Amino acid sequence: MIFFALEALAWAFRPPFRPELVLAQMAFIGVGSAFIVGVTGTFTGMVLALQMNYALKQFAAEGYVGGSVVFSLARELAPVMTGLMITGRAGSAIATELGTMRVTEQIDAMDTMAVNPIQYLVVPRVIAALFMFPALTMLFNALGTLGAWVMGVYVSGVPPGPFIDHMREFVDPGDLGHGLAKSVVFGLLVALITTWRGYAAWGGARGVGEGTTRAVVASSIAILVSDYAMTVIAMGG
Amino acid sequence: MIEVRDLWKSFGGNEVLKGITLTVPRGQTYVVLGGSGSGKTVLMKHVIGLFKPDRGSVHVDGVEISALTGKALTEARQRFGMVFQGAALFDSMTVYDNVAFPLHERQRSLPLDEVRARCLAKLKVVDLGEEVLERFPSELSGGMRKRVALARALVSDPQIVLYDEPTTGLDPITTDSVDGMIMTAKRKLGITSMVISHDIASAFRVADRLAVLYDGHLVAEGTPSEVRASQDPFVQRFLSLWFQKQ
Repeated sequence: MIFFALEALAWAFRPPFRPELVLAQMAFIGVGSAFIVGVTGTFTGMVLALQMNYALKQFAAEGYVGGSVVFSLARELAPVMTGLMITGRAGSAIATELGTMRVTEQIDAMDTMAVNPIQYLVVPRVIAALFMFPALTMLFNALGTLGAWVMGVYVSGVPPGPFIDHMREFVDPGDLGHGLAKSVVFGLLVALITTWRGYAAWGGARGVGEGTTRAVVASSIAILVSDYAMTVIAMGG
Repeated sequence: MIEVRDLWKSFGGNEVLKGITLTVPRGQTYVVLGGSGSGKTVLMKHVIGLFKPDRGSVHVDGVEISALTGKALTEARQRFGMVFQGAALFDSMTVYDNVAFPLHERQRSLPLDEVRARCLAKLKVVDLGEEVLERFPSELSGGMRKRVALARALVSDPQIVLYDEPTTGLDPITTDSVDGMIMTAKRKLGITSMVISHDIASAFRVADRLAVLYDGHLVAEGTPSEVRASQDPFVQRFLSLWFQKQ
């Protein structure tokens, strides 16, 4: 896969450039995943607020609900959950589409027409993922915060003032940046793994199915392992 | 002219091609006949540089295509068109986008009117009209898909067209039509064609020269009448199954 990634990197800087394909993939990965990421973000924020409120009530510290939830979202939950949701929706589709193209000789056909398939099929998906993973992570953050606000303020009765004050106190732009940096890495990993698994598929429908399963499993594991590694590095080892 | 010289290829210890040597003269149709799994497709994919040989070489108009990589190989492929066994049309694109694909990608400065005119002209060569332009491959019959694939292969005016099992799975009328298409492409456009097939009737109809591939070797090679007169036991058995029916 390392050679595949290096080849994609090399082709990304060679003409012809195909912005229309990048935009199409941004629509597919980003716009197409917005609903599922939005729903997941909203409910994650709501349920976290409920749990935090229950726990913090033991110490009469309900005012910290907003801060603790948004801090968790910004640094960990938003990038990881967004990555996993996009992997399930768009990553599996990418692996299946490229795998089907491989076993039906569409990729060979592209090669014979003097069009490099990695440049045409892989590069636009990788570039789109690099932009759309952080964009959707921000959406997750926004709706998760909104969900936490609704549950914390309107359902659990946390006063709005402390909710916002502690949110500002706990969370700074660096926390958001930390989460967004992670999401860029997740986007790169997921795009490369899913395109590679599809590109290397063989053996007909069964091969495509196996390639897709492996793409989703490997991408999910890559997100979790790299998240741990980046967190350790960010915390100074 | 295509020259294959002492070509050897194996996959995981299984030797598929064992020293193939053949020459496809310019402007002629050369058919490689053989049973399923005889290595025909592997041979063809070497000709266009999709596979690299273990030993031997492939030369196209004096250029050793089997030694090329990267940009040089990409440029060398511009003189080829290829029709795949399953047509290999891009299923997310319409017929028009499929046929126009090589022009959009290879000749990006070509005006859109010119692209459309060339697509329509090539579709006309294969007896298809404007009514199919907006259809997707899944909405076409097998024969129509093969025709669109040929139009796509011809649209950038290649010097050489490779056909991988062009008549497999087609009914007799469509087979006849595809054979006609191959002969028309040669006659009207002066194209050098290499066809791999196990369809004996079709092979003898379109071929200027024929070769029979068996167990990784060419066991017969020559004009259709020379191959028919071959004394090789496999060739006699392979051909007799069809000629006895006639």
